[in-house]
Amino acid sequence: MNVTQQILNGLVIGHSYALIAIGWTVLLGVAKLVNFAHGQMYMLGAFVTWSAISQFGLPYFLAIPTAMIVGVAVAFLMQRVMLGLTLKQDLVSIMIVTLGFGHVLHGAAGLIFGSTGKLLDTPFSLRDVYYEDLWFTHQDILIVVVTVLVFLMLKLALDRTTMGRYARMVAEDPDLARLDGIDVRKVYFGVFAFQGAAVALAAAMVAPRTPILTSMGFEEVIITFAVVVLGGIGSVWGSYVAGVALGMFTAFFGALVSPAYTTAAMFVVLLTLLVLRPGGLAVGPGGR
Amino acid sequence: MTRTPVLSLEKIVARYSGNTAVQLDELHVDEGELVGVVGANGAGKSTLVNAAMGWSRGKPAVSGSVRLDGKDVSGQPAHRRVAQGMLLIPEGKLIFTSLSVDENLLSEAHDPGPGRKAYSREEVFELFPRLRERRNHLGSQLSGGERQMLGIGRALRLAPRVLLLDEPSIGLAPQLVSRVLSTVRELAEGGLSVLLVEQNVKAAIRVVHRLALIERGKLVVEGTADEMRDDPRIAEAYLGANHG
Repeated sequence: MNVTQQILNGLVIGHSYALIAIGWTVLLGVAKLVNFAHGQMYMLGAFVTWSAISQFGLPYFLAIPTAMIVGVAVAFLMQRVMLGLTLKQDLVSIMIVTLGFGHVLHGAAGLIFGSTGKLLDTPFSLRDVYYEDLWFTHQDILIVVVTVLVFLMLKLALDRTTMGRYARMVAEDPDLARLDGIDVRKVYFGVFAFQGAAVALAAAMVAPRTPILTSMGFEEVIITFAVVVLGGIGSVWGSYVAGVALGMFTAFFGALVSPAYTTAAMFVVLLTLLVLRPGGLAVGPGGR
Repeated sequence: MTRTPVLSLEKIVARYSGNTAVQLDELHVDEGELVGVVGANGAGKSTLVNAAMGWSRGKPAVSGSVRLDGKDVSGQPAHRRVAQGMLLIPEGKLIFTSLSVDENLLSEAHDPGPGRKAYSREEVFELFPRLRERRNHLGSQLSGGERQMLGIGRALRLAPRVLLLDEPSIGLAPQLVSRVLSTVRELAEGGLSVLLVEQNVKAAIRVVHRLALIERGKLVVEGTADEMRDDPRIAEAYLGANHG
């Protein structure tokens, strides 16, 4: 086994995981909400990117914001439909409604894009880098750079901006936030919009690594779940570390045992950790 | 001609799952007036101020009219009332514990109308020097008295037209109670209208202009502080025999 190559793979996969999960981290940390259509929103982001490039001839750097705008639109639509439930924080109903949304997205994407796999090629994914016995693509570099930037910007935004402070206030105590004059509904909408944009960005970055199918999404939502729970629910740094750690685990487990059982093995790790440390690896206040 | 009260509450009824917690005909606060609402634990004092604010941590059904400077705000959500100068400092958890003192004081009013003064953070620190010393501490590190000061400071930053205070004395040492309450009195002297809910009648009666006693959600008696000091219902129930 080429250990350096596996570390490299682990880093790339790990940053992908962290980027895919970031929207959920904020959603759960700030609004105490869940979205089980997350995986299908990832799928949709990938297909919108693909469609923008292959069918409309847009350059990759314009396809990314297109996918993000569609992501925001879907998130807004969902939030609009569920507003009553989100304000009541009725988690069980939200879980079921978002699961349903995921199925609707899956079906709609199948009708529009067909059920055959597509290749989402970008100017970066087609450029390989060989260095001694190591191999990676420019897309891999892009994933790591973008993920690090997104996490840094999110951390800065939460700590330094008014919107970020509102988000932290709503995360701690939505009732008290109302008494500070904050329209909590707007913050919820903002958080949903962020989740939609972030998962579409993740799709535009990560999906080019493999062929895309409208049936994908399940694995992504499972990975997101693992990253968010492992990182300590709502912790931004926690989910970054958890994402990279899970990526390393995936790479090495795949190389040493078999890639086929990676998801199952990930769950064994998750369950073990949750038994030992129910709060996750990093327990912090919501949204930090 | 009588002046329009800054805050007026009429026919306020609040129910928790069918049980009436508050049923109040009329209560108002004039400009620069400090009105106290006293009563035993569970008399409905908190429910009343929360109903005035259109806010609650529970889910009561509230009806009745709330007017701010004559304008009906009953249909408005709490954050809209805040924008117009109704500021509630709730009982219990009244600051953001995961934010620093400075951050708790960051929200400010955007050009408040006449009769409202938006305090700068500096002015809040002048009022409560203790907060300046603690400005970089997290809310969770503050003592009960400091939290109460921060709660008041947070409200002052948002330019209150009327301040609603829910049990500021709870859990505070006696000297601290009188310090906090005399600061509230000074604010009223400066022209701010205040509705103060208190279980500590002794402390409240020293600072308020007017006092209302509520029992089982209903207003029993109301009058100036002097009148109420001699009222047997107040004296018997709360002040001890030597005051009768």
